[in-house]
Amino acid sequence: MITVKKEQSLQEKLHILADAAKYDVACTSSGSDRRGKTGFLGNAAAAGICHSFSGDGRCISLLKILYSNECIYDCRYCVSRRSNDRPRATFTPVEICRLTMEFYRRNYIEGLFLSSGVCQSPEYTMEKIYETVRLLRTRFHFNGYIHVKAIPNAPEELLTLTGFLVDRMSINMELPTEESLKKLAPHKSFRSIFQPMKQIAGGIMTSRLSSGKSPTLDRHRSNQYLSGSIFNRKALEDSTVSPSDAPRGFDLSLKKEQTPFIPAGQSTQMIIGAAPENDFLLLQTAQTLYRRFDLKRVFYSAYIPVNEDPMLPPPDTAVPLLREHRLYQADWLLRFYGFQAEELLSPDRPNFNPLLDPKCDWALRHLEHFPIEINQAPFETLMRVPGIGSKSALRIVNARRFGALDFTHLKKIGVVLKRAKYFITCSGAMMYRIPMEEKFITRQLTGEEYQANWDISHPQTYHQMTLFETGGFSV
Amino acid sequence: MNVLTCADDFGSMMTCIYEAYACRLGHRSIRLELEPILQPELFCQYRQVDFDEKKAAAVIRSIQEKISWEAWQLVYRAAMSWQPHRLDCIYRFLLLGFHFGASVTDMLQHPAVSGLFALSRNVMNEAHYFREFIRFSSAKEKFLVSHIEPKCNILTLVAPHFSDRMPSEYWMIIDDTRNIAAVQPADEPFYLTSVTEEEMLRLKQAEKEDGITVLWKEFFHSISISQRASARRQRTMLPVWYRRHMPEFHE
Ligand code: SF4
Repeated sequence: MITVKKEQSLQEKLHILADAAKYDVACTSSGSDRRGKTGFLGNAAAAGICHSFSGDGRCISLLKILYSNECIYDCRYCVSRRSNDRPRATFTPVEICRLTMEFYRRNYIEGLFLSSGVCQSPEYTMEKIYETVRLLRTRFHFNGYIHVKAIPNAPEELLTLTGFLVDRMSINMELPTEESLKKLAPHKSFRSIFQPMKQIAGGIMTSRLSSGKSPTLDRHRSNQYLSGSIFNRKALEDSTVSPSDAPRGFDLSLKKEQTPFIPAGQSTQMIIGAAPENDFLLLQTAQTLYRRFDLKRVFYSAYIPVNEDPMLPPPDTAVPLLREHRLYQADWLLRFYGFQAEELLSPDRPNFNPLLDPKCDWALRHLEHFPIEINQAPFETLMRVPGIGSKSALRIVNARRFGALDFTHLKKIGVVLKRAKYFITCSGAMMYRIPMEEKFITRQLTGEEYQANWDISHPQTYHQMTLFETGGFSV
Repeated sequence: MNVLTCADDFGSMMTCIYEAYACRLGHRSIRLELEPILQPELFCQYRQVDFDEKKAAAVIRSIQEKISWEAWQLVYRAAMSWQPHRLDCIYRFLLLGFHFGASVTDMLQHPAVSGLFALSRNVMNEAHYFREFIRFSSAKEKFLVSHIEPKCNILTLVAPHFSDRMPSEYWMIIDDTRNIAAVQPADEPFYLTSVTEEEMLRLKQAEKEDGITVLWKEFFHSISISQRASARRQRTMLPVWYRRHMPEFHE
C-alpha cells in the first residue's frame, strides 16, 4: 500500500474517514440513560436522539468515523480492503476527542461511534481505540454516548478496559454462515467473532448482577405480557453465556471502576445480498443471537456493490433496500410483538413477501384467528393485528375499562384503520361489510402498500410511472 | 354566553380557570378565550381576567393534588400550544378531571380528554424536534447561542434537557418569534429573559463566525451513501421548515 506522505488537514481526514465509515448502519444512541454532571459534557437518553438526516434519509446521531482506513486485511465486500487503491488516513486520538467535544457542544451529535480498519495489527488498533475513549472520558470529561467496534482478534484485556468506558460495543458478524465468511472475509472466522461476543456478553452479565440488576438486558415492557416473546424465560435457557465468560482482567476492573460495563448492550450487523443466504436464515440467525448472547440489536445492511469482484454481485446490481426494510420490520416483530422467526418464514417460504409487510402477511395466512373483538381480545392478540402497534394496544386495554370503544375512538388512539379494519370488530360489528376472504383482503392491502414499497426500493425517483399505478395492484 | 378572556401567558390562563369556577354561572354557559379577541360575538358577555398569583397557584396545586401529576403535565404542555382554543380545552378537561380524579387521563373516549392529549402531543412533538435540531454556534469560544422559531412556546420544555447535558457551559436559546431566551451561565441554573432588538443583532453576528461548522458540513456530506440517496425520505424525517437554523443545510 502506498501511503501519501503529505500532511493531511483535519478536514481531509474527516472526509476520508467518515466516507469509509458510512457503510456501517448502526447510528443509534439508544440504550443508556445517564444524567449529566457538573464539570462534564453530556448525558444519554434511553430512547436515543437523531440530530440530522443525511442525503440518503438516514439518521445522524453519532459522529461515525473510522480511527483509520489503512487496513491490512482484505475482506472482499469492503471499500477499505488492502487491495483497493484509495486515499488513506489515520486520526490521532486527540483529534477525535476534539471533534467529538466541539460537535457535541453545538448539538450536532449525541456522541461518538468509533470503528476502524485493522491498522498495523488488531492489537495496535484496539489499543488506539482504547486510548481515544480513555482520553475522551478522563481528560476531556465527555459524558455522552460512545459506541466502539471491537476489533476481531484483539487481546481480551483491551476489551475489558474499553468496555468500562463505553456505552455500546459491537462486532460485526457480516455473514451468517461460516462458508460465506471464509469466502468473503478470509482473515475472519466464526471463532474470531463469537468468542469476543461471548466474552462481552459475560462481562455485561457480571456487571449487571454486581449492581443488583437482572442478568439479561431490560427489554420493552410489553414483552412480559407476550407468552411467545423471544426474550421470555425459555430464552434464558437457550443462553450459553455465564459470568465466567467475562474477558480477562474483568473482575479486577469491576472492583476498580465505578461505571457499568457496556450498559447499552452489544450489537452486530449483517450484510444483506452479498452472499446467497435467504431471509429465513438471516432472521433465524438474528433470533439466535438475541437469545444466546442477549444482543441489544441486530442491524441489517443492504449490500452496496463497491468492489468489482468475481465472488460478489456485479457493480450495477440494485441495492436490496426493500429486502432490508422487510428484515427490520420482522426484527421489530421479534423484539416487541412476541413473534418468532419460524412463524414468519419457513423452509418452504424462506423469503419475505415484497408486496406486504411481515405482519400483514402473517395475518393473511391465519385468517381463522380473525376478526377479533377490540373490546375483549387480550393484549397479546391485539398485538398481532396489522395496524395496531404496542402503544395503541396498551391504550385500548386501558381505555376500554371505561366503556366500549368504537372505530372513531380507535382512530384517535392511533390505530391505522386502513390496515386494521379487515381484522377487527367493535362491539360485534366490522367497520364495513368485508368478506373474510384471503384473496380479496390481500388485493386490498397490497394495493394500499404498493406506493410505499415502490418508494423504498426506488429512493431517487419522485413519481411512480402511471403504468404501474394501474398495473393491477389496486382493486 | 359568558366569555372570560385573559392574556396569553400561563399564569393568566390559570387565573382565568379559577374565575370560571368562582363565578358559578354554570359551566355550560361559560367559554374561555385568549386575548386578543379579534371578532367579538353578539349576545356574548365579555369579562377580562387579570393575572393573580395566588389564584393561579391554587389552581395548579389542585390539579396536582386532586387529579394527578400526569394531568398537570398535560395541562401545562397543552397551554404551550399555539392553537387559539387551547384555554377552553384545558377548562373542559379540568371539569372532568375534578369530577373523576386521576382516572381521567385514561378516558380517551371523551372528546375533552382526547382533545387535550392531542394538543399536548403536538407540543411535545415540536419540543422533541427542537431537542434534536437545535444548533448552537460558539461565539468567540465564550458562549453558545442558538436561535429557534417554534410554533409552540417550547422554550421551557427544551431548556432543562440542555441544562442537564451541558451544565458547565454558558449557553442561550433564543426564541426569535417571541423575543424570549433561556440563558444558562456555566454551573448555574437557567433562567428566562426577554431579548432586546439590539442584543438580538449582536448575537446574530456571532453566529456567523464559528469555524467548526465547516467540519460539520464536511462530515454531513461524507456520511451520506449516494447509492441510497433519497431526498424524499430526508424530507419526511426532517421537514424543510426546521432547516433554517441548521448549518448543514446552508450553502
Ligand atoms: S477488516 Fe475487513 S471489513 Fe474491516 S476495514 Fe479491513 S477489509 Fe474492511
